[in-house]
Amino acid sequence: MTEAKRVRLTIDGRAVEVAEGTNVLKAAEAAGVAIPHFCYHPGLEIEGSCRMCLVEIEGLPKLELACSTVVREGLVVRTSTERVRTARKDVLEFLLAEHPLDCPICDKAGECRLQDYYDLHGLTAGRMIEARERREKKRPIGRGLILDRERCVLCTRCVRFLRQVTRTGELGVFERSLRSEVGTFEGRPVDNDYSGNLVDICPVGAITSEDFRFKTRAWFLTRKPSVCPHCGRGCAVVVESVKGYPLAAGERRVYRVTARENAAVNGHWICDLGREGRREIDEGRLTGVLRAGAPAKGLSWRTALAEVAASIRSVPGPDRTARIAVVLNARLTSEELAQAKRLFVDGLGLDRISFAGRKPGRADSLLLTAERMPNDRGVLEAGFPPRPPALAELSTAGVLLVFGPYLAEHFEAEALQNVLAAVPAKFLFTAHSGPLDRLATLAFPVAHPAEKSGTYVNIEGVRQPFGRAVAPLPSAVAEGAIFDCLAGRLGLNLGESDVR
Amino acid sequence: MPESMDRLLPVDDASWGLEAYVSRGGYAAARQALTSMAPADVIAEVCRAVLRGRGGAGFPAGTKWGFVPQNVSGPKYLCVNADEGEPGTFKDRLILLRAPHALIEGIVIAAFAVGIPKAFIYVRGEYALISERLEAAIAEARAAGYLGPRVLGTDFGLEIVAHHGAGAYICGEETALLESLEGRRGQPRVKPPFPAVVGLFRSPTVINNVETLAAVPQIIGRGAGWFLGRGLAKDGGTRLFSVSGAVRRPGVYELPVGTPLREIIEVHAGGPPEGRRIKAVVPGGLSAPVLKPEELDLPMDFDSLAKAGSMLGSAGIIVIADGTPILDVLHVTARFYAHESCGKCTPCRIGTAWILKVVERLRRSGGGPADLDLVVRLAGGIKGRTLCPLGDAAALPIQALVTKFRSELEQAVAR
Repeated sequence: MTEAKRVRLTIDGRAVEVAEGTNVLKAAEAAGVAIPHFCYHPGLEIEGSCRMCLVEIEGLPKLELACSTVVREGLVVRTSTERVRTARKDVLEFLLAEHPLDCPICDKAGECRLQDYYDLHGLTAGRMIEARERREKKRPIGRGLILDRERCVLCTRCVRFLRQVTRTGELGVFERSLRSEVGTFEGRPVDNDYSGNLVDICPVGAITSEDFRFKTRAWFLTRKPSVCPHCGRGCAVVVESVKGYPLAAGERRVYRVTARENAAVNGHWICDLGREGRREIDEGRLTGVLRAGAPAKGLSWRTALAEVAASIRSVPGPDRTARIAVVLNARLTSEELAQAKRLFVDGLGLDRISFAGRKPGRADSLLLTAERMPNDRGVLEAGFPPRPPALAELSTAGVLLVFGPYLAEHFEAEALQNVLAAVPAKFLFTAHSGPLDRLATLAFPVAHPAEKSGTYVNIEGVRQPFGRAVAPLPSAVAEGAIFDCLAGRLGLNLGESDVR
Repeated sequence: MPESMDRLLPVDDASWGLEAYVSRGGYAAARQALTSMAPADVIAEVCRAVLRGRGGAGFPAGTKWGFVPQNVSGPKYLCVNADEGEPGTFKDRLILLRAPHALIEGIVIAAFAVGIPKAFIYVRGEYALISERLEAAIAEARAAGYLGPRVLGTDFGLEIVAHHGAGAYICGEETALLESLEGRRGQPRVKPPFPAVVGLFRSPTVINNVETLAAVPQIIGRGAGWFLGRGLAKDGGTRLFSVSGAVRRPGVYELPVGTPLREIIEVHAGGPPEGRRIKAVVPGGLSAPVLKPEELDLPMDFDSLAKAGSMLGSAGIIVIADGTPILDVLHVTARFYAHESCGKCTPCRIGTAWILKVVERLRRSGGGPADLDLVVRLAGGIKGRTLCPLGDAAALPIQALVTKFRSELEQAVAR
């Protein structure tokens, strides 16, 4: 990449140097000066319509848009003069004059630009005593999205997203003047695999998601960065959750997964598949050790793991290669894969190691890849040949260790059941319940990727370290801890990757 | 050149056709430009004539043409703004009706000067008859070789397409016009980039008003010196003044730039009807701040009007006589802009509507000085803050009406 030319300018007395072509709004951000805005979005074309980002530029008579003004050498920008402050107040006053002020029942409250900016830049008493426009407040527009036209500030981020990013164009602005409103074209609701981004980018509560509506308040949520495990892209996400694991049906711990900016991977967006991934962090989880499919009461995973170690030890060294098979998956982090390599290949000398993951799906032209596992590249980098599982190999095993529930996706249920029936000791390590549970001698609950820290290497080779976004279920352990524990019981040293 | 080309508008409505136009010297200027002048010389001559944009902004046409980058490959366009929508303005329709070939000849010369092979005329949707006539004139011109692949037998080719709007004031704003022409909602674009660089279909584009282009043949035919002699040194030529409202002879008057406003109203338009007195005058289309009777001794040119705190704009003069309540004038003004705001940017969309709501309440149930203050303040929140000039066009006349007729309005709203 060629180095862009640098331009020096002054914003509120602070000298700042940015790349040529940067707009004043971004340059100000770099200088630590936040300029309020509704319609500007770094992932969309400039609209210039909300008029919230007006700033003073030395030498120009009128206030200018920070979003559309490109930096020039020596530019002097002022963002906190009386003129600028008055202009912001006026825009907020206009927007609030026709706003329903239903913050107490609005999902966006607490993370709403209109609310935040009023606190920072408005704080004027309302002078609007005329009748406000009444508009439709809960119009379904497709894909579980609800449009509230009273809350809409007509920034057209949604319209532009659908035209410029997904190129599906389901939303438009209809009518003119104060009657202007966002809407779908007749009989053509929003229907694309990136629809959830509309909720993320709506600066107010005009587009909300049925999945999140009235479920909690934004200020109760803890937001932690993570990497989406649903395809080979590994989009940057934020996992938004509350403490604790739900006990009652319908209760949630993870309320939503939203997009996080990463220019190198996903830009500003994530797909709906990844967003819906909030469910699998909470739902369908294996919550305790199972023996032959039934809860093994009073059996801790450590004690149970001793049984796994004993099974492995019972196979004499020279026979191990032929009699122990391991099925891994590419949801394991690179660190865990390195541990697995040391444990199974270097330590135990196994070679019947295969990988079973989610079946490939349809790739789209935006982010979603055909590969539906997040760390296929990590598998290669760890030095594993990406062998698919084979029934013949599994059938001859005396001890079988299966990580992940995905084996069931690769074979006919009956064939798999018959093969596994012939394996004397088979152990399953999985975050989610599945058909394999009852076939396994022991099934261990493991952590979901959002509950782990580690590194995924995406399909383009981008290494993305991530931290734990939510606490693991009380009974679940990360595979890394299992590898460590097994190694300890087998008298093997995993070296530097031993994280205990 | 026969004397009749000295006027833009022939008096006779029947003389719109090609034959009549050519017989009074029409297309001689185009022939002269295309066969004996270099494009740069044409631009220089128009620059010398100080032909200021007749649409309202008054930007010198020659300078505008000079902004178009010359060393670009790819298309360039000329767009003619015939979306005459400014209240009180009805002069372009007369050009289209009586002198469509003057416009076409102006287009030929401008397109030749800037090196443009395709022009669009964006005609106001309501001008149905006019459109028919314009299309007929374009067909005549093409048949006679004034348009087509080899204009006047030269290597220069030009096609003109007439496009009909759908009745939105905003489409008279140049970038909204471009959006509409491209088939999208007629809403203004953020500037810069300016149309001269990124215009129609993202290509360099010249946008001129009908009256501006129709004056170009005079400049080339008679010379910049003659043109300047017809008007002022910094504002050449004649203007078509549309006069409406409380006058005895409303109509379009072609007079030198700089003709005093009082003369236009009192002498040419015959002054107010018997027994009525002038109370207020809007000098340049509804968007121009109103003038009081004592402010009428003004030469009608861009600079003089700007100095007086108003604007020449489209030179649409609306005369308001006593007996017309200013509250009514305020109401129709507020209603027009609230109705025509395109809705794209916040201050204009909500500000104009809010002002209308206040004025309607004042008419319905009265109010006090604080309400008038609010109107001025709301207009202040629009002024200078909007995406396009419609915001100022709404805010300035409203502020002027409330400020200049404050005592009448206070009395009118007191209950």
